[in-house]
Amino acid sequence: MDFAESLRMATRTLSANKLRSGLTMLGIIIGNASVIAMIGIGEGAQKYVNGQLQSLGPNVLFIVPGNREARQLGDLDTPRTLVVADAEAIATQVPSVTAVAAEKTTQGIVSYRNRNTSSSIVGTTEGFLPVRSFEVAQGRFFNDLDQRSNRLVAVIGDTLADRLFDDQSPLGKQIRIKGITFEIVGVLERKGSNLGLDYDDAVMIPITTLASRIVGRTSPYGIDVSFISVSANDPDVMETAEFQITNLLRLRHRITEGDDFSISSQDTLLDIANTVTGALTLMLAAIASISLFVGGIGIMNIMLVSVRERTQEIGLRKAIGATQKDILTQFLIEAVILSALGGLVGTGLGVSGIFIIAALSPFEAGVSLSAVVVAVGVSGSIGLFFGVVPARQAAKLDPIVALRSA
Amino acid sequence: MSSSVILPLIEFKHVTKIYGAGNTEVRALWDVNMMIHPGEYCSIMGPSGSGKSTAMNMVGCLDQPTSGEYLFDGQNVAQLQQDELAHIRNRKIGFVFQQFHLLTHLTALENVEQPMMYAGVLGKERKERAADALAQVGLSDRLNNRPNQLSGGQQQRVAIARAIVNQPLLLLADEPTGALDTQTTQDVIDIFSKLNDSGITVVMVTHEPDVARLTNRVIWFRDGAVVNHNLNPADLASVTAGSATSVA
Repeated sequence: MDFAESLRMATRTLSANKLRSGLTMLGIIIGNASVIAMIGIGEGAQKYVNGQLQSLGPNVLFIVPGNREARQLGDLDTPRTLVVADAEAIATQVPSVTAVAAEKTTQGIVSYRNRNTSSSIVGTTEGFLPVRSFEVAQGRFFNDLDQRSNRLVAVIGDTLADRLFDDQSPLGKQIRIKGITFEIVGVLERKGSNLGLDYDDAVMIPITTLASRIVGRTSPYGIDVSFISVSANDPDVMETAEFQITNLLRLRHRITEGDDFSISSQDTLLDIANTVTGALTLMLAAIASISLFVGGIGIMNIMLVSVRERTQEIGLRKAIGATQKDILTQFLIEAVILSALGGLVGTGLGVSGIFIIAALSPFEAGVSLSAVVVAVGVSGSIGLFFGVVPARQAAKLDPIVALRSA
Repeated sequence: MSSSVILPLIEFKHVTKIYGAGNTEVRALWDVNMMIHPGEYCSIMGPSGSGKSTAMNMVGCLDQPTSGEYLFDGQNVAQLQQDELAHIRNRKIGFVFQQFHLLTHLTALENVEQPMMYAGVLGKERKERAADALAQVGLSDRLNNRPNQLSGGQQQRVAIARAIVNQPLLLLADEPTGALDTQTTQDVIDIFSKLNDSGITVVMVTHEPDVARLTNRVIWFRDGAVVNHNLNPADLASVTAGSATSVA
C-alpha cells in the first residue's frame, strides 16, 4: 500500500475519534508549547542582555579590582586593590587611551528641604562623561579642580531631579547627601538603566569628596574604586590598550604573578553573558522537554489501548491481505500524525506565548526558525519512537486470535 | 467432464495441526487428507471441537500445518512466509465471517475498497470495482451508508461484496448465516449459489443443516479428522444427531 493511501487511512481513523485524538495530542501540544516558550524566553533574555552590553560601546574597557578567575563563588568581600591613582596613571601613561573614569558607589539618603529619598551616590571623575557617553542636560559636570579640592558639588540624574524638585530647576540648589550639604551644578540627560545601573536615579559627586567626606579612605594605597572604565581611541586598539594597561598596573602593583585586577571588554562581557544565557536557555528547554517526553508516553499509552480495542479490525485487515508492514505503517503513521500535529499546534501556542511575554516584559519577542523546526521535528520523531511498540504489537497479532476476540 | 486431470484447488496431504506442547498439547487436526476442486460448492460440518475451525483457518491460509502438506492452487502453503500468505489471502481468497467484521467508521463502499487498497488498486478504478461488487449483492443504493445504518443481512452482503471484489478463486465463509434470521439467511445463500454458478469455489463452515443442505457436498469432521468426505446433503438429517460414520 502506498504512503499517501496510508496517510489518508490514518487521518480517516483519527478523525473518526476526534475527542480521543485531541486529548492524546494535548500532551504533545503542552510539551511543545513549553519547549518553544522556554527557548523563546531564553533567546529573548540573551538578546536583551546583549543589547545592554552593546550599548557600552565597542571601545570601552572595564577594570575591576580582584582576579576574576581566582575569585570564589560567594566571595562577597570586594577587594580594594584598585585606587584613583591607578586611573590617573592610566590616563597619563597609556597612549591608546583617550579618557578614564573611576567610579565608587554607595547608597544613602539624599534630601532637599523636607523631601528625602534613598538613592545611589556615585563618586566619579571628570572622565565619566566621555567614557560612559553621557551628556549634561543642564549646567555642567564637575571638573578636575572640583575633584582636587574635594568640593561639595553634585550632578544629579534626571529621575532623581524630578523626585526632589518637581518642575523647579535643580541648578544651584542645596541638597544634603548623608547629612552633608552639596550644591547642584548640573543635571544628567536621561538614559535609562543599563545592566542594573540606573544613573538617572543617582547623584554624582567627585570621587575624592565621596572618599573624604562620606565613606572615608579604605585602602592603604589611596582612594579605592569599584571599577575603572577606559575608552580607547579606536575599537581596533583594544588589545593594545588592554596589554598596556595590564603592564602598567602590574608595574604599579609590583606584581610578578597573579594579577589583583581584571580587564573586560564588551566582547569578553558578551562572551560571559552568552555562556550564562545559553546555559539558562538549555536548562529551561531541558525542563520543558520533560513534558514533551511525557506527552510521547501519553501517545504510546493511547496507541496501546487503541491496538487492544481494534484487535478485530487488525485481524480483519490481515485476513483480507494486509502484511505485517502494512499494519505497522498504519499504526506508526497514526502516532506520527498525532505527535506532529500536536507539535504544530503546540508551536503555535508557544510562539503566541512568547509574544505575550514580550508584551509584558522588557524582553524582545522572537524565536528562531531553527528552534521551531527542531521542536516540530523532535515531536514528530517522538511519535515515531513511542509509536513503535504499539505498532509492532499490532503487526504481530495472529489474525485468527484477533478475529475471534470479542 | 473431460478426461484431462483437473488439479484440486485445495488439497490436504496428511495435515496435522498441534497446539501447545507437552501436557497441554492439543491435536486439532490429525493426519487429514482432503480435496476440493475448482467450482465446487461445499460445506464443512462437525460438532464443536471437531477441528473444523482449524481446518477452515488452514484452508484460508490464516494458519499453517504443523506437519503435512497443504497445496492451495498448486502452492505448498506450509512453506510460505507470512507476507506470502497475506498476498494469497488478498488475491485468491475472499472471507465472510459470522460477525461481518465491517469497519464501523467507513461507508459500505469504503469497506469494500479495503482489500483493493492492499492490492494496490487506486482511485477511480477502485471505486468502480467496489460499486460493481456491491451491485452484485444488490446494494447499489446503499453505497454511502455506514454499517450501523444497515440491517444485519445488508451488512453481510457488504461483507460478501468485500470478499469478491478482488475476484478470488475461493470464497470462504465461516458461519455466514449464524447471526441472521431465516429470510436474510436465504438471501445470503442465494448470493453464494449465484457466485458459485459464476465459477467461484465456495466453502462454508456451518452448523445449520438447513444451510448445508443447499450445498453440493458436506465434509464431516470429528475429533480432528475427516470422517466423511462426501456426505450427501440429503442425508444430513440422519447425521446431525452426531453420528456421521453410520451412514458413511
